[in-house]
Amino acid sequence: MTDAVAFDHVSRHFGSIRAVDDVSISIAEGSFFAMLGPSGSGKTTCLRLISGFERPTSGRVLIFGEDSGAVPPNRRPVNTVFQDYALFPHLDVRDNVAYGLMVRGEEKARRHAAAEEMLSLVKLDAFGDRKPGQLSGGQRQRVALARALVNRPKVLLLDEPLGALDLKLREAMQDELKALQRSLGITFVFVTHDQGEALSMADRVAVFNEGRIVQVGTPEEIYQRPRTRFVADFVGSANVLSPDICVRAGAGSGWASLRAEAVRLVPPGEGVVQGTVASRRYLGAVSRVHVDIGDAVIAADLAAGTPLPEPGATVGLTWDATALHRMEEA
Amino acid sequence: MATAAGDRLSDLFWRQPRVLLAVLLVPPLLWLGVVYIGSLAALLLQSFFSIDEFSGLIDYELTLKTYRELFRPANFDIILRTTLMAAAVTVASAVIAFPIAYYAARYAKGRMKAFFYLAVMLPLWSSYLVKVYAWKLILAKEGILTWAVDGIGASAILNAVLSIPVIGGNSLSVSYIGTFLVFLYVWLPFMILPVQAALERVPQNLIEASDDLGARRGQTMRYVILPMALPGFIAGSIFTFSLTLGDYIIPQIVGSSRNFIGQAVYAHQGTAGNIPLAAAFAVVPIVIMGFYLWMAKRQGAFDAL
Repeated sequence: MTDAVAFDHVSRHFGSIRAVDDVSISIAEGSFFAMLGPSGSGKTTCLRLISGFERPTSGRVLIFGEDSGAVPPNRRPVNTVFQDYALFPHLDVRDNVAYGLMVRGEEKARRHAAAEEMLSLVKLDAFGDRKPGQLSGGQRQRVALARALVNRPKVLLLDEPLGALDLKLREAMQDELKALQRSLGITFVFVTHDQGEALSMADRVAVFNEGRIVQVGTPEEIYQRPRTRFVADFVGSANVLSPDICVRAGAGSGWASLRAEAVRLVPPGEGVVQGTVASRRYLGAVSRVHVDIGDAVIAADLAAGTPLPEPGATVGLTWDATALHRMEEA
Repeated sequence: MATAAGDRLSDLFWRQPRVLLAVLLVPPLLWLGVVYIGSLAALLLQSFFSIDEFSGLIDYELTLKTYRELFRPANFDIILRTTLMAAAVTVASAVIAFPIAYYAARYAKGRMKAFFYLAVMLPLWSSYLVKVYAWKLILAKEGILTWAVDGIGASAILNAVLSIPVIGGNSLSVSYIGTFLVFLYVWLPFMILPVQAALERVPQNLIEASDDLGARRGQTMRYVILPMALPGFIAGSIFTFSLTLGDYIIPQIVGSSRNFIGQAVYAHQGTAGNIPLAAAFAVVPIVIMGFYLWMAKRQGAFDAL
């Protein structure tokens, strides 16, 4: 099967800045692919290379096997949901959604029918006559989604689509986007700096740092077995253990990651390392305890109901040898 | 002490925001209300008086007689001529202003942008009369334009243009074409600047969105950029249209000797001493502008504001 999108050693430089630096990825058809990274890591530039608003300095971007190098954005089988939605303020919602069909020469009645159908898919049936300025952020987001999907793109690109929404709406939209992607079967490529969003929605995640891809994998792989310290740091609440500590813990030398929920507290003198409790934080289902072991601080997540040590108390820490994940790269 | 008084005043403004608003607004409102609106009302009133044909004295009885005067062929021609000229100048300045404004808004950066502002504004810094007389010399039969056209061997084209009935003439400086060119030159900045400001406010991502949705360049221009720049065109056209309607100097210096509204007002309130007719003439541009704005609003020109 051809990949929906493939990057073949793609670089995009702006002067001396390497926004995207020798990136190769393949995105399977029908998948939900997330590009995750901090701002300035090159993920948005990658998205714009797919949509055609940026052209590679070197390398090739293939869309369904075809080199897209000479294809302008308006003739690519992809559509974008822009970060700030980019709805046309002078057109009502219906004409916004029908825009792509209008410029293709679809007649008015048919494009309006298609727009209405798409609006009902995103649960905005009664909003066709409104102007974008009269909608809430979440509603605008749905209009932007409908406006892109009405063109039946082969790939839908989403640039931080949930960034401007409040937490509750964001969670609801995550579920809806995921369900929509499943039912439509369109390839979604999704850019975010929110690791929770990437892990919960995507089938595969590419983690970006400084213009390069650091790791590509399923959410489980990224979460459980981060390849580098950067991934372990960025993707979540993993402890990063230096070679020193690993040696002290009897786990050989080299960098390793350790999930906070795998760390257990034991009485002083027992366990792998010793330390003093620096702080504790109540998080609901778990409480997070930070233990200072001299040259590092290790976080341990304790299930609700476990007695919590006072700050300043001396404790031992232990974990199963299998919980320690050796990282390939510092 | 001074600080204490200043504090008290500042506190008062904070507690009573309307007081501050009143302090700020009353002087300009008085000026506008009394001097501007007041004189407009006086003007309007004058236009409902009439002039006694035998004595030449103003008859202070309210009547529509003076307005009927406006529709006499000689007077109505003046109105028609002025309105057509204003419309032509407005359309031409919109056409010329758009590419310049588009370049300035979307491409010019840094120094080029500064140069753009300077180039557009610089003509406004020199006297209007100087510019108009300069144009008279440029357009005259012995002027630089005729000389240059001769030089490149294109005098046949110039002669053909000048031989067009009505708008042609003996030379550019005594033809309607000449008047049109000078109007266009003098009012062009008033079109460029608002159009540029409107284009500046069209976000880049809307253009990308249109592109992304499959629109060609021309379609993006037609369906996104132009509709969003429309308020700028309307603002600019209010300037060029009303300034042309009211001008009485340019057609006097450059052009055929036929009158425009401004000249008619000038002549009737001065030498002819027919203040009511001058007032009625002065009301015409106000009515035309009112009608124009009403039409623009009906067409949705201000929806994107």
